[in-house]
Amino acid sequence: MLQIEGLSKRFGGLVAVNDLSFQTPRNTILGMIGVNGAGKTTVMNCISGLYSSDTGRITLDGKDITNKTPHDIAHHGLGRTFQVPRVFRRMTLIENLLSTVLDSPLSDAELVEQATSILDEVQLHELRYNYAEELSGGQQKLLELARVMMFDPGTILLDEPFAGVNPGLCKILIERIESLVDAGKSFLLISHDLTSIYRLSHHIVVLNQGQKIAEGNVEDIKNNPQVIEAYLGN
Amino acid sequence: MPISAASEDQVAIIRNRIWYGLLFVLTVWLALVPVIGGNLPFYFYLMLWITMASAFNIISGFTGYMPFGYVAFYGIGAFTTAILTKKLGVSVYFSIPVAGLAGVILSLLFAKTLKLSGIYFAIVSLALSIILRLVITNMPEEITGGSFGISLGSRAEPVKSFYFMLVTLLAALSTAAWLARSRLGKALKAIRDDSEAAAVMGINVPRARLLAWMIAAFFPAICGGIEAWYTNIVDTETAFDILITAKTIIYSIAGGLGTVTGPIVGTVIMVVLDDLIWQQFPLLNLFLLGLVIVLLIQFMPRGIVGTMMRVWPVLRRYIL
Amino acid sequence: MYEFLILNALVNGIIIGVLYSLIGCSLNVLYGVLRVVNFAHGEFIIVGSFFGYVLFTTLGIHPLLSVPIAAIVFFVVGYGLYYVLLPRLAQADDPETSSFLMMYGVSLMLGAGMLMIFEADTRTLDFRFSPMSIHIGTLYISTARLVALGVNLVVVGLLTWFLYFTLYGKAFRAVIMNREAVQIIGINIHRISAAAFGLAAGLAGITGVMISLVFPAFSPFSGPDYTLIGFIVIVLGGLGHPIGAIVGGVIFGLTEQLSIVFLPQAMAPIVGFSILILVVFLHPRGLFGKKLLR
Repeated sequence: MLQIEGLSKRFGGLVAVNDLSFQTPRNTILGMIGVNGAGKTTVMNCISGLYSSDTGRITLDGKDITNKTPHDIAHHGLGRTFQVPRVFRRMTLIENLLSTVLDSPLSDAELVEQATSILDEVQLHELRYNYAEELSGGQQKLLELARVMMFDPGTILLDEPFAGVNPGLCKILIERIESLVDAGKSFLLISHDLTSIYRLSHHIVVLNQGQKIAEGNVEDIKNNPQVIEAYLGN
Repeated sequence: MPISAASEDQVAIIRNRIWYGLLFVLTVWLALVPVIGGNLPFYFYLMLWITMASAFNIISGFTGYMPFGYVAFYGIGAFTTAILTKKLGVSVYFSIPVAGLAGVILSLLFAKTLKLSGIYFAIVSLALSIILRLVITNMPEEITGGSFGISLGSRAEPVKSFYFMLVTLLAALSTAAWLARSRLGKALKAIRDDSEAAAVMGINVPRARLLAWMIAAFFPAICGGIEAWYTNIVDTETAFDILITAKTIIYSIAGGLGTVTGPIVGTVIMVVLDDLIWQQFPLLNLFLLGLVIVLLIQFMPRGIVGTMMRVWPVLRRYIL
Repeated sequence: MYEFLILNALVNGIIIGVLYSLIGCSLNVLYGVLRVVNFAHGEFIIVGSFFGYVLFTTLGIHPLLSVPIAAIVFFVVGYGLYYVLLPRLAQADDPETSSFLMMYGVSLMLGAGMLMIFEADTRTLDFRFSPMSIHIGTLYISTARLVALGVNLVVVGLLTWFLYFTLYGKAFRAVIMNREAVQIIGINIHRISAAAFGLAAGLAGITGVMISLVFPAFSPFSGPDYTLIGFIVIVLGGLGHPIGAIVGGVIFGLTEQLSIVFLPQAMAPIVGFSILILVVFLHPRGLFGKKLLR
């Protein structure tokens, strides 16, 4: 379970995130929505350790991970994807997945088998020996998800997983996410694709200018006047 | 688009056969050179450059750093060997490995620079190597020979140093090959491609790249030491010559960074060209070296092996 | 005795520093607009020195007149050179490192080329101003150096005016700030890049002529020294920041001249490099520039 308390982050004079608190229990998908610049990606970067937070506490499964190094945080059980895919471009798809489990006691052959079957689940099996840079943008997003699946953390952060992905691939992504949640993972999901967010999320947090302006289940959020105003203007 | 449906085990067998076959041919050919009276200097330096290029590839092609002051490790190795052998009367068989150690220690001293990004790392690396050269040149003559250098006396033994170099070459190539197949090697490539994403995926970036840096510093130091033994003289002009870094980089790039066979192929082709054609015209030599660099970067930035792998993806599974 | 040396070092430090600033400015234009780290910049400059030298020795052209001639000739050549060398690099895995390496190749070619044409001897520009030096207080300052200072200040001033007060210059700065965005709003990125390359080359040409006035001698081997100085200056001032180069240049010039007072000549560069390394680690943005850690 991921818990954020009082998180703040500023860049010089700009307050990107202000006193944010929420939590993501197991078997849950927490959707995070808000207009561009609301601070959503900043929150993810603070959680995963790429940014240092100015104030607040981030707890993962009971352990304090605030301001730890990214790889420490990862090993505590956190995985993430990026808004613009950051795959390992000059490595093959299999190698992309293998690079996440370098400390595994399993043999190389077993790991390759595991990686192959995961790539099969996201329908990238045929391309597994291609370099990641040879994939299309949407396929790279799938690869990022496959990479996280290989890493197998308890909590997963997804930043705009559906952006720029065609409907066929979206469907696969959604199916994968749903089955992972059923298997016990928790998700923090950022997306502008309100349809998918409403379908997937159990709970939604709405950010505007770094602050939480609303929180609740899908129905509450859909009808919340503040949310509507923030997203669509007056 | 799909590449070779052969199973991983089958591929591994063929890949190993190709690699060990190549190593075998190389070893036998080189080992016979002194025996059949072949061109010793040519092959000695060929081995030296292949070793340099392979080691460089570890920090550059595998990990993504381009140390423009790489010669610093070579120079420290040369001087450590010369000082231990000439001034302290130690056997070469001891002083050269110690020289390798000196290279590793130097790499630890410079380790903080690994935090720097691309160009800054390259420039600072260059600055550090120049500082090292100046410091050594200005040290008391009794220790480092001032600007005249150190002569190792009449200890030169071309054949023995030739075989020492051969052993070093095989060690370097084997290390690179091991790295390419190992988990550390995958970590390094991930760091090369995107170090932040690598960290987020659980890779201990600082530790992995430090290891690569240390390995990449060991071999040039040994090379400097063996060459000192071979030529019998060490001085700061030649031991810290920026052209050593330049050639190392070019030979690696010509073959293809990030592959194990790349540095071998690139070095062989470039050294043969250099020897056959260009040694006749020294000035033109430099000019043509520059031209080759420009043409390579323009038209084959991934080098010969790298471009082949891009064009024939099947090769990716079979060539290290 | 020391006061005299130090005063001398201060004055010459500023003169040389402004010259170094010019090197930094032209390097910065290249890096800022094109993301090219020009390893051949020192050679560009020395070609400029030879250019002025040849004009003087064969046609008797006054060095000050060589300045605008060099500026124009080098601009045109630089403009064309852009199209030959750079567009293909944009698709590389790592354009910055690729350009760095390629320009190293260019530097080898230029250096070797100059060696073949002019041979290895150092050259001196035998132009004498009258009077040869000017007496200020206790100091004798070479007139050539003062003239160079004046010219350099004018050039830096013009460059600043161009970048900050003209429309075309603002376009340059827009590209420095955000390359992709500029292409979207319809500016031809190739034309601006070529112009930037031409501008940097032109500045290098001018710098070369100035070098023959400020320093006693130059040779085809002098290039790398100036390239390295340029790098130090722009790292000090902040990569890509035009004004930073000016400050960085003066600081470095002063440091260099002052160290020569206290250290043996051969060791003086160590001070400069050490400052570079200190700045890179302690104040990673340089004095004015952007983050450069991984």
